[in-house]
Amino acid sequence: MITDMMTPFELYQPSRVDDALALLNRYDKDAWKLAGGNDSFDWFKDRIKRPRAVIDLNGIAELKGVRETADGIEIGALTTLAEIARNPLVRQKYGLLADAARKVGSPQIRNSGTLGGNVAQDTRCWYYRDGLPCHRAGGNTCYASRPTSMNREHAIFGANRCMAVNASDTAPALVALEAKMVIRNPQGERVVEAKDFFIGPSVDITRMTILTPKDLLSAIRIPSKFANAQFYFEKVSDREAFDFALVNVASATIVKGGVIEQSSIACGGVESVPRHLKVVEDVARGERQNDATAKLVGQAAVRGAAPLNYNQFKIVLMQNLVARAIRGA
Amino acid sequence: MDYKLVGKDFTPPDVVAKVTGRAKYTEDFRAEGMLFLKLFLSPLPHARVTRIDASDALKMKGVVAVMTADDLPKIDPPDNTMLTNEPVYFGQPILAVAATDEDTATNAVEMIKVDLQPLPFVMDPLESLYPGGPDAQSNGNVSSDTVKLQTVKWKAQDFAAAREGQLPMGTASEEWSYGDLEAGFAAAKVVLDEVFVTASYSHMSQETRSAMAYWQNGKCYVHGSCQSLTNAVPGLARYIGIDPSQLVFIAEYCGGGFGSKGSAYPTMALPAHMSKKTGRPVMWRASRAEEYYVGSGRAGYQGRVKIGFRADGRITALDLYIVQDCGATTGYTDYQAAGACVSILYQPLAMRWRGIPVLTSTPSKGAQRGPGQNQMAPAIEPIIDKAARQLGLDRVAIRRINAPDSSGKVFDMRQKKLEPLTSAFQKEALDKGATLFNWEEKKKMSGQRKGSKVIGVGVGQCYHGGGSSGFDGLVRITPDGKLHIHNGVGNLGTYSYAGTARVAAEVLNYRWDHCVIEFGNTGRHLPWNLGQYGSLTAYTESRTNFVAATDAKTKLLEIAAGQLGGTPDDYSLADERVVSKSDPSNPSKSLTYAKAAEIAIGLGGKYSGKELPNDINPITRRAAGALAGTGLIGVSKDNIKRTASVPSLVAVFAQIELDLETGKLRILDLAAVADCGTVLHPQSFHHQMNGGAVWGIGMATLERWVYDPEIGRPANRSFHTQKPPGWMDVSVDMKVDAVHAADPQNPVGVRGMGEPIMGGTASAILCAISDALGGHLFLRHPVLPDMILNAAAGKAQAHKPLAVNTQ
Amino acid sequence: MSKNKINGGCKSGGGKNRERPGEEDLSLFSSARNKFISRRDFIKGVISSGATIAALGYMPGSPGLSRARAASPGAVERLISLKVNGRTRRVDVLPQETLAMTLRYKLGLTGTKLSCDRGECGACTVLIDDVAHYSCTTLTHSVRNRSITTIEGLEGPSGELHPVQKAFVEELGPQCGYCTPGQIMSAVALLKENPHPTREEILLSMSGNLCRCGSYDHYFRAITRAAQGG
Repeated sequence: MITDMMTPFELYQPSRVDDALALLNRYDKDAWKLAGGNDSFDWFKDRIKRPRAVIDLNGIAELKGVRETADGIEIGALTTLAEIARNPLVRQKYGLLADAARKVGSPQIRNSGTLGGNVAQDTRCWYYRDGLPCHRAGGNTCYASRPTSMNREHAIFGANRCMAVNASDTAPALVALEAKMVIRNPQGERVVEAKDFFIGPSVDITRMTILTPKDLLSAIRIPSKFANAQFYFEKVSDREAFDFALVNVASATIVKGGVIEQSSIACGGVESVPRHLKVVEDVARGERQNDATAKLVGQAAVRGAAPLNYNQFKIVLMQNLVARAIRGA
Repeated sequence: MDYKLVGKDFTPPDVVAKVTGRAKYTEDFRAEGMLFLKLFLSPLPHARVTRIDASDALKMKGVVAVMTADDLPKIDPPDNTMLTNEPVYFGQPILAVAATDEDTATNAVEMIKVDLQPLPFVMDPLESLYPGGPDAQSNGNVSSDTVKLQTVKWKAQDFAAAREGQLPMGTASEEWSYGDLEAGFAAAKVVLDEVFVTASYSHMSQETRSAMAYWQNGKCYVHGSCQSLTNAVPGLARYIGIDPSQLVFIAEYCGGGFGSKGSAYPTMALPAHMSKKTGRPVMWRASRAEEYYVGSGRAGYQGRVKIGFRADGRITALDLYIVQDCGATTGYTDYQAAGACVSILYQPLAMRWRGIPVLTSTPSKGAQRGPGQNQMAPAIEPIIDKAARQLGLDRVAIRRINAPDSSGKVFDMRQKKLEPLTSAFQKEALDKGATLFNWEEKKKMSGQRKGSKVIGVGVGQCYHGGGSSGFDGLVRITPDGKLHIHNGVGNLGTYSYAGTARVAAEVLNYRWDHCVIEFGNTGRHLPWNLGQYGSLTAYTESRTNFVAATDAKTKLLEIAAGQLGGTPDDYSLADERVVSKSDPSNPSKSLTYAKAAEIAIGLGGKYSGKELPNDINPITRRAAGALAGTGLIGVSKDNIKRTASVPSLVAVFAQIELDLETGKLRILDLAAVADCGTVLHPQSFHHQMNGGAVWGIGMATLERWVYDPEIGRPANRSFHTQKPPGWMDVSVDMKVDAVHAADPQNPVGVRGMGEPIMGGTASAILCAISDALGGHLFLRHPVLPDMILNAAAGKAQAHKPLAVNTQ
Repeated sequence: MSKNKINGGCKSGGGKNRERPGEEDLSLFSSARNKFISRRDFIKGVISSGATIAALGYMPGSPGLSRARAASPGAVERLISLKVNGRTRRVDVLPQETLAMTLRYKLGLTGTKLSCDRGECGACTVLIDDVAHYSCTTLTHSVRNRSITTIEGLEGPSGELHPVQKAFVEELGPQCGYCTPGQIMSAVALLKENPHPTREEILLSMSGNLCRCGSYDHYFRAITRAAQGG
């Protein structure tokens, strides 16, 4: 119930990735990786998370910046959202990500918040954030799915002992862009697809991503597959700033002669992971880009949705947003 | 009237401090040896403390004291507490720890073992009224400032009599009526009968209610966050358990209050008690979440209104029933204000009001900007539109035919009768607003569709009281020629403390840069003024400053007559001199104010404040007494005649665009006209109109409390979950004006104006939303994107009819 | 109880009056100064630079170097130099200390306000290398070697107001004033980067600063005025 005093921790501010990995190796589960801090300090001030050691990654230059690569771009995980939103390379070819980054939080949050932090952030289920002993917190219940639960912001897909959603705005954009996540740990480096980076409760209910305590997300690679495609990002939230999406949509569509050749689309705020809409892509492929197709894919997108008491509206909203994404407005 | 200062812009003296960071709010103060206080908050919505074991905490290095309710003056339920052994809402303070630093205090709080026996709790007033329903307090479930704590259960038949979605109406705790209701409904062409729900929500002042206190030479010094100053002294002294003369209260700046810091509140006294116990200064730095728990909120309504309309739109009969959610402690009188608001806005030919204030296991609710009126008007105004549609009337016209003019009345709950008004020009406000907004053209755009977006236009109104009387004024002319205007009203940020001070300068013909406003600290000897709330300051304190300055003027003229011969009538005031009327340019027939002040000190008696009027408040007497002999003292009680209720009214027009695919609303245009008499200070008038409109937008479209009814915990105790409007949620260049008709019962013609603009704006926006959706009535606010989406898609709303404190 | 020394000021009119110590009792009136000044209105001068500033009571007693392994790469020293408003200050900073805490409680720069302490309102906004940041969600240790500007650092050498401050006065920007320093810092950051912003750019750039009084319109006018050179 104390909400403003962090418990003490040891602070490390390594300037090299190897040093950070060594610290993660040493402290393992007792370590906390700190990027922009916008999620971390909430947990610390509520005294729910009490890490022994905090590894502040902001001083590691090699984790920052946007680089052009042979097949697209590579963005250091510690690059700020503000930098991504204004980076010419990102804006010109991968505007979807710039648009998503610009919708996060507020200007100050984007000035400190990082891409890595934004995709690795924890869920915002208020029961869980309040410190209640739910499944995700190691307990044995889900407070959000009882008949009386207040679950307007919760999931309409993929429930498995947990109704929490992924709150990130950039995550759906990265999934839509088929980004690859570069992960380093003391054993080496591995690269995973963005859609596999995010995990649901059926894989591990205590985590939102595949990152283990010793893993460090070092970079995000965006392949050139969708460079300069038709992009659409929209976030619907109660407020225009300082808010998480009720539902957001990110899509990249390649249209030739009015026909959808290829599309890649993901929604946030509807599942514990950014929901990759493979079925929509299949339905849309080869169809004309018009209202009829938009309506069709909107309906396809929400098939199988299982709403709770207060979030049925997310079905309508998601259907509408996916349709808008496909018709391009 | 042609004024030199009144009605003109100026820079209030505290603005530079605010833009440089030099303005010191409570938590910016530090004292040597200061201890830090931290609270243990109730983890249950209702419980009884059965055991507290602080022994481990007290052993910790740096921990100085632990304080519980047992250490404090007893406060009887259901009044709000400093600390309690029976927490009645989640987050209520149970005990306090003082330590040499905040870290230690925090760790100590976590070391204290508190055993709690859970008790029944309730989130919905109607649940509590049901036979056998839970009570928020162990001794009852109904209470307000005017209703003693009692247990009320309606009959199961009362609930059964209400159809699904209808408000059950058991016995009310209070009611009034006038006229023949049945005859009125019988004479009506259209009768509407609707239920409505309004949300409870936090004030969310940006400065939390931190407090600091220490004792010195038998006096208690308290730095507190308070809208008001001298008016808070008796209450705060009572919480501390001392005589008001022993209290020095410092509140030069208040980082937002909106009613929640209108007067003394219990937790403001916590550091004083802890300081007494420890012998050291004590600071309580309140966190944002603590502000949510102890910082008050607006009372929500579950209501029903039946209205009869003649063919021309005139309201023949109106029957209103309000069930109020008071929170867990003594409820505020919002539900009563709802009745008054409706009675003045529509002047119904016959009306009945009934209400019952019910306790729920949620934080205490108190006054919040236009308490009662501002949630009432937005609930009823869309229903007026429904009648206009059925009768084929213009929406401005139906309001205009019912609107009050100066012969209008308002129902006064205390006097149990219709009261006359000092003046009212609501018809003019509607007309002027319609022109400013271009209503005739804009209403043609109603329902226009472009893609997924649809246009809606609406007009809304609201009312609040706009003035009081009977308080004291105190001014002082010092031998350096300066005018000191002692203002005990507080500094909420409306600048009315400064605007009303200019009335004194106006009376005495002073240059403004020769005036000093004394405020913010009872140590500066401030008079008994009204608290700074209720849109009352401008009217009330322009009167007190007027009478004090008039008293000073009389004394100046008398001194001149005494020194220079003749009678006071032979003299007048010009350029900070008393001059001969017949020979104004003759230096030997004039006295400077500075000289007059010197003479006043020499004369003593009433001139220097050694003798004081008998009818002033003891607080003014002490203040003036302390100033005696330092200059020419002007001091007086406001005995100016006031024979009627002072209204503040507003008409607001809104054009919005709804995106039916996202449920999002964009405000395209807003225009508002206030009926508030003379505008005292145009810049701050504009400020209040805009700021109040922002609050209206929040009320209409964003803000509400959400509680899990099964576990009794709040889902939103932070800004990002409570959603006060930000820059991009309110981006509209609002047009603002006033009727500019001077009130006859104020010396400079002003009435208050800060509150109704909120309810008026919320009304206009909700009416515009309804208009965009072809007349769809949500009958509850706020209207959120999910509700708009459901309505646009023809789907049922997720919330149960009449449900409150949930989604 | 012994005499208490109070930091902080309480002056009639606020305004441009610089703080100065007074020794009169509250019941005394100094007509020469047109105001009451008392021991309790006494303000401790700004802590002099060069001296090491230790915790003033908010957060001592936490493990610092004793528990951190000094030999580890990246381990932090508690004693650090901070560049604040153009001056370098030596400060003893705890590992978990936020910049807002350091500024307010160790350097006495109380113009930076805490309102939510969660990065949800902007009252604590300061500039770090000319970029707006929430000091409540910034670790002090992360801003070593960076240039920090607070509201107290905006005025010119002889106390003249920054153009943004001046515009905020002229347009009567603040109501309660609590969010004002943060709003001004965001406006200063905006105009440094974009001296002639459009309406939309102003709204977007300022959207990280909440104003519960709803002073947005007056703030907007003030920023527009400042952008037009007053």
